[in-house]
Amino acid sequence: MLRSVKMVSKDGLIGFPPEIKEDFLATGGLDFKYSPSVSAEEIWEFLTVEAPRRFPQVFIDDPNVYIIRPSPYVEFLWTLKYRYCMLTAKDRTEKARANGVPVVFVQGGQTQEPYYAANAIATRPYVNIILRGGMADGMSYKQRTIQDKKLMEEGRKLVSPEACNGMIVAFYQIMSGIAPTDLVAPYLCLRCSDIAYTTESHRSTERNTPTFLVDFPVDYQPGQDWKVEYVAENLRGLVKSIVQVGGKQPSDEDMRQQIKQLNYARSVGRSCAETWMTAKYVPSYGFDYRFLVALANDLLGDPVSAIQILEQAKQEIEERAEKGIKGIEVAEDPVRLFVSGSCYTPNTYRIEANGGAVVAYDDQYNRLTIQADETGDPYLSLAKAMLSYPYELPTEERALWIAGAARKARCDGVIFASNWGCQYQSAVSRMVGEIVKREAHIPYLELEVDSLTQFEQLEQSENRTEAFIEMLSDLRQ
Amino acid sequence: MKATTLDRIAKAVQERPEQLMKAREKGAKVVGYFCSYMPEEIVHALGLIPVRLGRGGSDDLVELGGRYIGKGTCVFLRESVGLFAEGKEPFSKACDLVAVATSCVQMFRLAEVVKHFFNIPTLVLGVPRNFYLPEGRAFFQKEVENFAAQLEEFAGNKLDAAALAESVELYRNIRRTLQQIYDFQAADPAPISWREVFDVIHAGFYLDRAEYYRLLQDLLSELGTMSEALGTTDERPRILLSGTNIPPGDTKLINLIEEAGGRIVGDDLCSGLRFISGIDAKAATLAGLADAYIDKIPCATLPYLPSLDSDRRLENLAMIIDRYKPEGMIYHTLRFCDAFTFKAAETKRIMNNKISFMEIHTEYADSDIEAIRTRIDAFIEVLEGRRRAKISKAAVVG
Repeated sequence: MLRSVKMVSKDGLIGFPPEIKEDFLATGGLDFKYSPSVSAEEIWEFLTVEAPRRFPQVFIDDPNVYIIRPSPYVEFLWTLKYRYCMLTAKDRTEKARANGVPVVFVQGGQTQEPYYAANAIATRPYVNIILRGGMADGMSYKQRTIQDKKLMEEGRKLVSPEACNGMIVAFYQIMSGIAPTDLVAPYLCLRCSDIAYTTESHRSTERNTPTFLVDFPVDYQPGQDWKVEYVAENLRGLVKSIVQVGGKQPSDEDMRQQIKQLNYARSVGRSCAETWMTAKYVPSYGFDYRFLVALANDLLGDPVSAIQILEQAKQEIEERAEKGIKGIEVAEDPVRLFVSGSCYTPNTYRIEANGGAVVAYDDQYNRLTIQADETGDPYLSLAKAMLSYPYELPTEERALWIAGAARKARCDGVIFASNWGCQYQSAVSRMVGEIVKREAHIPYLELEVDSLTQFEQLEQSENRTEAFIEMLSDLRQ
Repeated sequence: MKATTLDRIAKAVQERPEQLMKAREKGAKVVGYFCSYMPEEIVHALGLIPVRLGRGGSDDLVELGGRYIGKGTCVFLRESVGLFAEGKEPFSKACDLVAVATSCVQMFRLAEVVKHFFNIPTLVLGVPRNFYLPEGRAFFQKEVENFAAQLEEFAGNKLDAAALAESVELYRNIRRTLQQIYDFQAADPAPISWREVFDVIHAGFYLDRAEYYRLLQDLLSELGTMSEALGTTDERPRILLSGTNIPPGDTKLINLIEEAGGRIVGDDLCSGLRFISGIDAKAATLAGLADAYIDKIPCATLPYLPSLDSDRRLENLAMIIDRYKPEGMIYHTLRFCDAFTFKAAETKRIMNNKISFMEIHTEYADSDIEAIRTRIDAFIEVLEGRRRAKISKAAVVG
């Protein structure tokens, strides 16, 4: 689809425009690993009738709301399927769980082969918080924000006021049963400092959800085989833990097939990301781009549907890039930004309105750049891949990678944001800045943000971002 | 009356920077290290000079360190970076190499920042989060082997089995003597205070270890003599200090407890009792040392998932309560020290059955000092009140 069609607005809600229906239906339906297939007609019906009725919070006509709300113009038809998967994540997960598929809480941004090979569903904080815990039928946007804040405070009372917003809400949702979870078993990458201790906190809750941690040895250098073997052994322990809560023991061949499938998802996701990063014009909204890249990694609970969406996205993005079509609300020559640091998603609608565009992230995208070996011991392959993700490398190497990616995406500036309580990212913000400035010769903005789970605009960080865009714009002239 | 050996120890610490300077002029190399999971015996056996680094209590150095390492990190970390940035503190200044054990992963970031901004060589010893699993143990053995190999390269000589055995024995003796000294401070009456013992433990961060052991032996002997002539009992409420590291220089909380009329009689700090206990090398080999350190009383920095009932950190706290008979427990947490802060509420729930508990969450700045004083004053008053009530009840029953 090469057009930009405005969402319709009625009674304070936005809706998908009828004039795209025919084009959308031509794209076909979706298949799932754990749920029955759906036709394009069923998806359309859900998005235009059922979803607005059940989830008014998502369709609120308020430009200040972001993350969950569809973009103001439809420019890609895959975005509808992505929205469908978002809004049905809760129903699909609970149904699969009722059929004996265990639900496992993982870290955002990690890869997920062992979970799906063991026939489980991996849910990261975003999926748990926003799509499972937060999607009560009929709940308004206001009710939703009040609920999130309440859960955050309750969680902090039990654990710590210094836990990051996302992690503590996810903890509370699991321990209270709001987001039913059979196992808490994340990878301990350097992305998040809170996940190890919030996982540990489950031991003193009444529910006492089973837990397992896949350890991450820091400072990995090629040739340090004992680190690879340690991670591999941890991954075997993870599979054992999943089997204990109802998963199926995969053979090594099953695991290799799973690697193959997710390697493919990553390669398609990477292709989408790099087309976007290098296109002459920015193809569309930053939000749709951010979530597409994340989908190639977190799969929204189902690898089969995720891959189908990614394939469609690749085709649509390439078509738009080749024909040099820019997003309708993106400037022709915007200030191009790279966002690095914590799992932070800025309000890209505001950035676009101010003449900027986020064209690259290191979170999520970095993992798409590494393929796990599809032969040999699958656990060793996964361990080697995990230790090679640019985000997890020693900071010097990670910063050089950021500088390279920023150059590739023709970025004018880098924003490094650390969430409240995110020690691992905050600790290296200065160091990354120094290296990026030296290597890529572009300005660098350090932000501490507190926006996870809070969907209202956060004026302080947005003001600083806007000032940064203005400065970069002046520098160009 | 104060033990005279304490003055000799304090003097030795004062003179140590100059000794280090002279030793370095003669070609000796100083290895500064962070974290109590560092098997110091290996450094010592290679003829290198080990110094445990890090200080606390200076808001200025925290601010300075924060210019290099992000402000979302704990103040101990920031001040430690501040020491390198300022370049005045003699022990960090003397380092030819900084070695970091990563039981706290923020420490890994410190190693990266120190190397990058101050151009100081660093070595990282990975400590497994899954320390209680066989694969965690196997991993740590490999890490220790790799660490020793890199240290050998740095030292320019090979690790000698006899030298390692000697170092292991020396450290075993140091720890055993320190534990005996530690027990003296909890006696009633006591010939030495907890604070004095705490300083003696810290002296061991810096002094030549053989010289240090001789001083400890003298101190132990002197305390034995002093104990025979002690007077009245000490009526102050007995306090157990737990939680985040309290390094040399951070006297804020200790001062407030003492000023409020409390008496610290025990701790489980990694800069206190936990530093000198629970390490038992069954063999004077790298594997033996790796096992000894991974089996030591766990630090809260390492998450323990299996169950609260088998958590040896909590078992150790219960043992300390039993051994040193504190009446109240003050659990100290630094802002952004997630390892201890996330477990504060849980520790309170568990310890409340055994002892009165209070958490103090703070930083090195003075801005909260009066607020903390009020809380500690009230806590000590409560403990005094409980003691009086206990005595009255016993009298009525009697």
